[in-house]
Amino acid sequence: MRATSPERPGGESPRRSTAAEARAAFAHWVNEVPEGLPFGQIVVRALPGNGGYELRHVADVGIPDGDLVAHNEPRAAREIAKLTEEGEYRPLKSSPNLKRGWVLRVKDDRALYVAMNYLYPSGVAHWHLYRNGELEITNYRENAARQSGIYKRVQRLSDEGVQNTAKACCEDAVCLKKTLWDVDENTPLAADRGEGEIPCPEPCSIFVSLARRVRLFERENKRDLDAIGLSPSEKEDLSALVEAAATGSVKFAREAEFEEPLNERRMRYRKLTLVPKLRPVEDTAPEEG
Amino acid sequence: MKALIIVGHGSHLNEDSSLPVYEHAALVRDRYAGEFDEVVECFWKEEPSMRHVLDMVEAEEVCVVPAFISEGYFTQQVIPRELGLDGPVTHRDGRTIRYAGPLGTFEGMPDVILERVDDLLKGKEMRPGRTALVLLGHGTDLNKNSGGVVYLNAERIRERGVYDLVEVGFLDQDPPIAEVVEGVEAENVVLIPVFIAEGWHTRETIPEDLRLTGEVTERADKTIFYGAPVGTHPSVADLIISRARETKEREAQLARDVS
Repeated sequence: MRATSPERPGGESPRRSTAAEARAAFAHWVNEVPEGLPFGQIVVRALPGNGGYELRHVADVGIPDGDLVAHNEPRAAREIAKLTEEGEYRPLKSSPNLKRGWVLRVKDDRALYVAMNYLYPSGVAHWHLYRNGELEITNYRENAARQSGIYKRVQRLSDEGVQNTAKACCEDAVCLKKTLWDVDENTPLAADRGEGEIPCPEPCSIFVSLARRVRLFERENKRDLDAIGLSPSEKEDLSALVEAAATGSVKFAREAEFEEPLNERRMRYRKLTLVPKLRPVEDTAPEEG
Repeated sequence: MKALIIVGHGSHLNEDSSLPVYEHAALVRDRYAGEFDEVVECFWKEEPSMRHVLDMVEAEEVCVVPAFISEGYFTQQVIPRELGLDGPVTHRDGRTIRYAGPLGTFEGMPDVILERVDDLLKGKEMRPGRTALVLLGHGTDLNKNSGGVVYLNAERIRERGVYDLVEVGFLDQDPPIAEVVEGVEAENVVLIPVFIAEGWHTRETIPEDLRLTGEVTERADKTIFYGAPVGTHPSVADLIISRARETKEREAQLARDVS
């Protein structure tokens, strides 16, 4: 449940700011471990003596300062988190594609909180609520029920579609959050929920966007299968993949460009649903040798 | 403590959409330091989501300003739903959350449009003759408010009498922008998109449809000046603050209505 102020009879209760508690708890958590703690793809470390904090990519631990670009303004974290190493836009900050090569030093826990909220938006607040057993979880069906406009159709996505979308969209290979929600209260999520520190309490907008695309695939599956059971979009994706591979390098679509065949999450979904059609179980005997 | 939350649409595909929200937030922190303890951005399609932004805000007094042009689907349906708002004022969990109106309908918007025009025309040569201002809206047949806000601003600017003509054209409803620009009887046509952010339309579809060559396009009978979207102008930060301050008055008005 969402944290609320306890009711006190006979008057206004003082408001409890869970965000302020989260800020303090996170700083305390970091202060306790001098060598620093990992959070997503970063390591946060308390700087001895001055109350400040240092953040860097987990893969840059031990790299001399001179080899990193140094920042000291907490809002620099937004620029750090915006693009991948290759310059691609990052619509999902918990994707495992945070760039390396920087170090950010901030003066206190408030500045740390600002920086963290650009690197992992609302991550610290949810981490804190989850540790206290107070994080409100919204299951898929509940989330879908409030969608409108072009997303309303996700209400009709099958349970199997939700499960496959979660495997394609939420596992650690593509998102470092720990997935806490289920399809509904009686249908647990089958996807690997992940090992990370950052809880995911509800399907995000990237998920809903992929779910919409998968729902369109489902509709097509019922109506338009050919003699060997392939749908038009499956054939389109296969053609695009063959054509791209034939050039010697597959150029992937942008991270959340689910309308394009060569999108990684769309391909992960195809791996779950198309590959079994193309390579039925009896054909996959282990190779000899 | 007081917090200002600026809500943007955001994008899954590019960084242009959220950029003005971040820039206006930075200007607000700078120009109005002390008025808000926290200035936080949130989005429909980016993080932090509207759904979770209140989890990360410490203040008990919160003002929400939508960085949207018109009153419509997002400001009336999506934003209140995702933020859990009951109306102009919401009391929840010991917090007061005030919800401001969109930017496009605000009385200060015509000033920002005219500042945008000044920026565009600075140092550029005009033809002798008439000058028309053409406001370009997205528009949609699904919601009359989308186009209505563009007509509203055109009328407010027309009343000031600074241009020979003030016209309106749209991408997704009548009159189509290409017809308006071709048909307008003026030697100089100043075209300003009434959009929040740069994006596919302002960078690609509009220049293509109108065969624009950049900020200045010379035609046989006219020169077309094409401005950046009004929503990226630094003065929009002041508009956001005005909208935020106004919510207090809205609350007082509501209280009077009730009593």
